Parts: sequence; structure tokens; C-alpha cells
Amino acid sequence: MGSHYQETAVVGNYQVSSARMEMDKFIVPAVTICISALLFFFMLFPIFSILKLAFFENGELALSNLTLENFYRYFTNAYTLNALWHSLYVSFATTLIVTVVTFFFAYALTRTTIPGKGFFRNIIMMPLVAPSIVQALALIYLFGRNGLITAHLFGTSWNIYGPTGIIISEVLYCLPHSFVILYTTLSAVDIRLDEAAESLGASPLKVFTKITIPSAKYGIVSAAALTFNLTITDFGNPVVIGGDYNVLATEIYAQVTNLYRFELGATISIILLVPSLMAFMLNYYISRKSFAMISGAANPFIPPSRPLKKTLYTGYCSGVALSIILVFATVIIGSFVNIWPYDWTLTFRHYDFPSIAGYSALWTSVWISLVVGIAGSFVTLVAAYIIETKKPFGKQILYLFSVMPAAIPGLVMGLGYILAFNKPYYIFYGTPWIIVINIIICNFTLGILSSISNLRNIDPSVEEAAISLGSDTIRTFFRIIFPLSRVAFLQNFIYFFMRAMTTISAVIFLVSATVHLAAIEIIMLDNDGWTASANAMCTSIIVIVLAMLGVLQVIVKLTARRPGTAPV
Amino acid sequence: MSKSLRLDKVAKHFGSLVAVDEVSLDIEPGEFICFLGPSGCGKTTLLRLITGFENLTSGDIIYDGKVINHLPPQKRDFGIVFQSYALFPNMTVKQNIAFGLRMRNIPQRLIDERVDEMLQMIGLAGWQDHYPAQLSGGQQQRVALGRAIAIKPNVLLLDEPLSALDAKIRVRLRTVIKRLQQDLGVTLIYVTHDQEEALALADRVVIMRDGRFRQIGTPFEIYKKPQTSFVAEFVGTSNFISGLRTGNHIQCGSRKFTVAGADGVGVDGDSIHLAIRPESIELVGSKLDIEDCTPENIVETRAEVINFLGAVVRITFLMEEEEMFIDIPEKDFEKMALARGDKLMLHFPPEAFYAYTEMFSKLI
Repeated sequence: MGSHYQETAVVGNYQVSSARMEMDKFIVPAVTICISALLFFFMLFPIFSILKLAFFENGELALSNLTLENFYRYFTNAYTLNALWHSLYVSFATTLIVTVVTFFFAYALTRTTIPGKGFFRNIIMMPLVAPSIVQALALIYLFGRNGLITAHLFGTSWNIYGPTGIIISEVLYCLPHSFVILYTTLSAVDIRLDEAAESLGASPLKVFTKITIPSAKYGIVSAAALTFNLTITDFGNPVVIGGDYNVLATEIYAQVTNLYRFELGATISIILLVPSLMAFMLNYYISRKSFAMISGAANPFIPPSRPLKKTLYTGYCSGVALSIILVFATVIIGSFVNIWPYDWTLTFRHYDFPSIAGYSALWTSVWISLVVGIAGSFVTLVAAYIIETKKPFGKQILYLFSVMPAAIPGLVMGLGYILAFNKPYYIFYGTPWIIVINIIICNFTLGILSSISNLRNIDPSVEEAAISLGSDTIRTFFRIIFPLSRVAFLQNFIYFFMRAMTTISAVIFLVSATVHLAAIEIIMLDNDGWTASANAMCTSIIVIVLAMLGVLQVIVKLTARRPGTAPV
Repeated sequence: MSKSLRLDKVAKHFGSLVAVDEVSLDIEPGEFICFLGPSGCGKTTLLRLITGFENLTSGDIIYDGKVINHLPPQKRDFGIVFQSYALFPNMTVKQNIAFGLRMRNIPQRLIDERVDEMLQMIGLAGWQDHYPAQLSGGQQQRVALGRAIAIKPNVLLLDEPLSALDAKIRVRLRTVIKRLQQDLGVTLIYVTHDQEEALALADRVVIMRDGRFRQIGTPFEIYKKPQTSFVAEFVGTSNFISGLRTGNHIQCGSRKFTVAGADGVGVDGDSIHLAIRPESIELVGSKLDIEDCTPENIVETRAEVINFLGAVVRITFLMEEEEMFIDIPEKDFEKMALARGDKLMLHFPPEAFYAYTEMFSKLI
């Protein structure tokens, strides 16, 4: 046996290439610098440009130019000031409604034995596949001035435009985001706590208020903070259904696009940044705490619910699901009928988009989304790998930069991009590439967080084994880390793809005469009165996103490794 | 073909925690060294310092006459086997073993030859296309071994390689490892908290506690001549008796033991801690005549608990209200037909005692 070893020493001594090892020393610092530079240039610089324009006269950086003039003008003008109150009112109302609605929905799905849980779960996630404008479009078709239900069923002149419309559409838009958090929270909290309390003689109401709710409190606050952030920064729904009711997001757009008052747009951006930053920080702080609450008990046995409880919760979930289905059905059907709600003959004519861009906008969106999906999930995985396992110098700062984009409203970032990059020497300005970068940066946080949590599941000694066998950073990443992160990579891909297909606020300032995007086309079409075609564009986006989801599902199934274990 | 490895006052601090405290050791080429110690004693940290995954706080690691403190793990010419196997789950057995060779840009033909050779050596010929998840724990650790050996390292480092396995497979793989080491003539450093494993495998055992080396010696020396009470307790089983030195005897409560090896351990009036192995205590009776015993070292007591351990039977008895054990061969036990509560007459041979002035703090 031993002689084998001596005889086959064909190659004198197996050695790792020295040049490679020398090069390897520079890989981590180089990638760290690249990622820092990316975030610095495409996140901090634009934000800095906004601050500069808001706080300095003519946006010229000098101590003598420092001024609060813009803020004074904002707060002394009743119309613009109203946008702040409107935003706060709409956001608080939406937050309250969404948190309550999704809490009971998540409760039904985790703590009761209602039928059709898989169906309900899929339905409540639906809003993720469409731009945050689909709700407003549907509500107008149903409850607008010429709405199917208001004008035609009840013959009333009441319509949904204004705060009510915004709140309802935002509620329908925020449901999945809030639900995911509460569902995770309620799944993680040990159901036996409830049983223990019940066995000690507590009434169901007492169990609910003293055990269930307190044990989920971090999840509730986190879900509420996220909803608040999503609502106050949303642009698509309020711009379509708000009517004269201005909110901060629409006001920024109006100041910049209609009045060309960039300095006021920048000022309002900062006013919008404050509450959204606060909500983000609250969420960040809370979600760090709530990790400790999650126990390992998965798939607990749920005791059969009493018939009345079961019926009530089934009815409740059906109601919520139906509202979401109604939104999508309205938009999809609305895109195929001749004249809603008068002439119900089916037609494809709304798919002959009357705008200049039309289908080209859709294709641009698709290829941009593919690029964003691949580049975004790759960059965030690399960044996560460097931060999490290589622990470079300045790791904390890099991490902070990486999670910051979630705190910055897309609209604000978009405005920052105009202010920062609208210069002739930034040749990428006005091209699709600035859109690609913008969407990746805006969604950097979730991508990097999910990559990090995936990397934490990889046994650190696997990487050390590779290193001890002579592997350098690049080969370790591509041969070990990347293949082991395959599922997380695909999940991130679909996330980035969906965001790129559906985002409105991030890119509305970046589309140009030459670069059109499908989601923005919806607003343009609706603005020009082509509502049915807006619906058709919306439907097209939904179909493309769903198709991509299907394709990825197949890929995940096909590439799944054969499991199974051998006998000992 | 192997080269010598030297640790010179190697230290590692994590903040205020001293994980490894200026330890020195010369490891001969081809030697099988075991670092043995309880969890948290710094043995794994020391191994990671040698591999290069951790940086030294002070001291030197000298390999083949050269200081390698700042050499990256890739350049250290060491093969490493991890406790968790750390196989690449996305690669087959063959790809796992070939990985290190591929990293060295060795021609495919030679890689294939080497992989086949490794598969033979670890006894997994025919398994090359399986994925790690399809193998048992024992098989996975064999692949990990083969993968580490494939690159022809001069030193093999194994970090508790068997602790995740079943007792039976552990013993079987122990033999595999020992034989591979002997056949290859490779220097092997083995970290474990299992004293049985360390004694069975090593040429020399290094006992570690609180980041320091407590005793270095052959398994026989460690077992037979534990230099501190900690080693006596940690390696094997020991009964402890505390007493005072009075002249040439040790006074333990009402008893006065004659202790052969206590000369020079403490002075009159010092408290002395005696340790004695359960198998060193003798039963007076069938085999041993009372005339051959040291009279003051005879203890009369009763059997409190009898545990059948296989080759030996362990009997618990009380002395000065302390629980103690005696191990007697199962055959002797059978002849004597002892039962719980039976009277025992025990002889503590003077030369079987270890005497210490210090007593390590038990954590129990």
C-alpha cells in the first residue's frame, strides 16, 4: 500500500502556482474597493447631490450659500405643505389596515386548520408580480367616475379618487410584504405557548391578547414599519388615483417634471427621506432583535380549530383573496374588452399600443430586467461573500452602505441620479445602463441580505478545505461558493427581475425620449387617456413575470441534485 | 521525505482571551502527534495556527528550517481533514479528491491516476461518481482523508476527524488512519478530546489545558506517569484521596498510607493529593495473599455499586465517605461471585499511587 505513494511520485512535488498566490492577495481588497466605489458613486453621490441642491443656494457648495430658504418656501406654501400631511395620513391609515388585515390572514394560515392554505398563500403574494399601479387602475375601473360598481351598478356619482382610493390601493399593494413578515413570525413562535395557556384555563380571547400578540410583537412592528415605508414612498398608485390629492411622492414628480423646480423637488425628497428613513431604521433594529425569538420548531402540529372559528377564518381569507383576484381580473379583463364597462366584446385592439414606444418599451423592460437580474444577483452575492467570509478592512461600513438603499425611496434616488449624472461627460446618462445600475442599487439591500443568510448556511470549513487544497479566492468562489449558492442566486435573480419589470418610482426620472420602460408606459398611457391600453401593458408585464417565475421553477427542479443516502 | 515542524513559543490571543499560551514543541518527521485536551483548551486554535487559518500573536512556526508564520494556507504543503468532513457537496467523490490536484494544474492523466490510487487506498474504489450526500459519515471521512492525501502533503492535520461518527466506525477508521500514516511516512498532527483515541494512535501525546501544554510523552508515559493531577484525572480514570504529609506517610483521615513515589513531593504538614488507577487497586483474597501486602495500605469496605463494563467489572466503594472505584478483570469477578453489599478487602500498592501537591479544580 505504502509503496504506491513512493512509486507514483510522477510529478516531483505538487506545488501551487506562486504567481496565482501573489495575485490572490490583491483580490479581496480590489473587490472591496470596487463595491465600495459602486455604492459610493451610485448611491451616496446622488444623495449628496440632492442634499447640495436643497441646502445650498443654486446648489453651489459654499458656506455662504448654506440656506434653509427652500424648506421655508416649502413649509409656508399651504399646497406643498399639504402633501406632507396627506402622505402621513395615507401612510398611517394604510399601515394600520394592512397590519391588522395581514395579521389575521397570517394567523389563519399558521394557527388554524382552514382548507386551501396553499391557495391563499399564493394569492396574497400576487401583488408582487405587478407594478404598484395595477391596484389603482382596477379601482378606477370598478369605483371610478365611470366605474362598473359605482356608476353602473349603483348609479351613484361618488367615486374613489383621492385619499380613499390611495389608501385602498396601497393596502392591496402592501399585503404581500407585510404578510411575509407576519407569517414568518407566527410560524416561528411556538404554538405550544398558546396551548399551555389554554390548558391553564385562559379564555381564547385572553390567550390571543396576552400570548399570541405579545409573542409576535417584533414581527408586527417590523411589518408595520415596512408597510409605512412602502406606502409613503409609492408613486404609481397615488399618481393614478390621487386626483388633486397630492402626496410627497407625486409632489416631487410634479415639481421636477411640470415646473422644473429641481431645488424644491430635492427639498421634498429630503422631507420624504426623513419618515422613510425612520421607518427603515425601526424595522432594521426590530428585525435584528426578532431573530432571537425564532425557535427551530418547524411544522408544528396545529390542533383542529372549532367549526365556527374555521368558518369565520375561511370566509375572512376568501374575502381578502377575492379582493386581490378582483384587482387582477379587472385589469386583465379590462384589457381585452372593447369599451369598459359598456361594450364587453372581446378584442385585442388595446394591445396595439397607441404610444410611440409600445412593444419596444416592453422588450426594453425585458432585457433590462434580465441584465438587472443576472448582474444584480451576481454583484450582491460577491459583495455578500466578501463581507461575510472575507471580512475585509472596513467591513462594517461596507455592510452599512449595502443595507442603506432600502432606506432611500426610489423616487429620491431617481432624482439624485438626474442631479448627479446629467452632465455630458457621464456618457451612460440617458442610456438603459443607468437604469440597470439604478435598479440594482435600489434593490441592493434585499439581495445582499438574502445572499448573506445563504452564505451563513455553508459550513465555513468547506471553504477552508478548498483553501487548504490550494484554491485561491476566485476559484473558491466560482467552484465552491457559487454552486452552493445556486438556489439563493436564482431567488435573487427572480427578485431583481420582478423589481426591474415592475418598478415605477425608481426609474420614472430616468426614462428618456430614447429609452422607454413598460411600467412607465402604463402611466403615460393612462395619462393620455388610453386606460385600456394601460391595462394591456400592465397585463403584459404580469404575464412576463409569471412566465419567468415558471421558467425558474423548472430550472430549480432540473438542476436539483439527486438526494439520497447510501447504506453505512 | 517528511520535514520537521517546530513550534517556538507560539501564542494566540483573542482580545483578552489567551487561547494558546507560548507553547513550544519539536515534531519529528514522520511522527504521529496528538493534541489532547478538554473542549476550550486551545487545541483546535493551535491546529488552525499551524494550518495558517489564524495568525499568530507571537512566536514562530518553523517548518523545514524556515519560519512560515506569514505563509498562506495554500503554500504550507499541509493536508487538512476537518471534523465536519467539509466535502464539497456539489462535487462527486472523484471531483472532491481531484480538487487539490486541479488547483495545482496537474495534467488530467496524472490526476486520474492519482484519484484511482486514492480510491484504492481509502477503500472506496467504485464510489467515484457518488455525491457526498449519498455516502455514510464514515465513507465521507474516508473521502476527506483521500482528498487531503492526494496532494502529497508532508504534514497531515486532522481536527477531531472521528468525533461525528458512531463508536464502531470510529474504531475502524482509527486503524485506517494509523495505517495510512505509517505507510506514507507522513507527519501527522491529530486533535482530539478523546483520550482513548489519542493513546491508541499517537507516537507522542500532548496534553493541553487552558492554552498550555501540561505534559508531553508517549501514551505509555502519559498513562503511567501523569505529571499533574489534571493529567491523572483527564487520561484514564483515577481515584483521588487528599491527605497531609506526616513523615514518610500520607495521613488521610484516620488512615496513614505508605506511598512509594511521594519522596520530594511536599514537606511535612503539606497537603498532598494522591491518585490511584482503579485497576491498580488489588483485591486481597484468592490471588493476593495478605502477607504480601503493605499492612497500613489495606482498606476494608463494602461493594456499593457493581457495573459490568465488559472486559472489566467496576466496583464502587466508599473510603472516608468518598466514592471510589476498583476495576477487576471479568474472569476474576466471576470466580469470586461478588454481590452488592459484600465485604471487600482492598490493597493500595504503595508504588501505584501518584502524589501531587496541587489539585486541579474540577468543573463538576
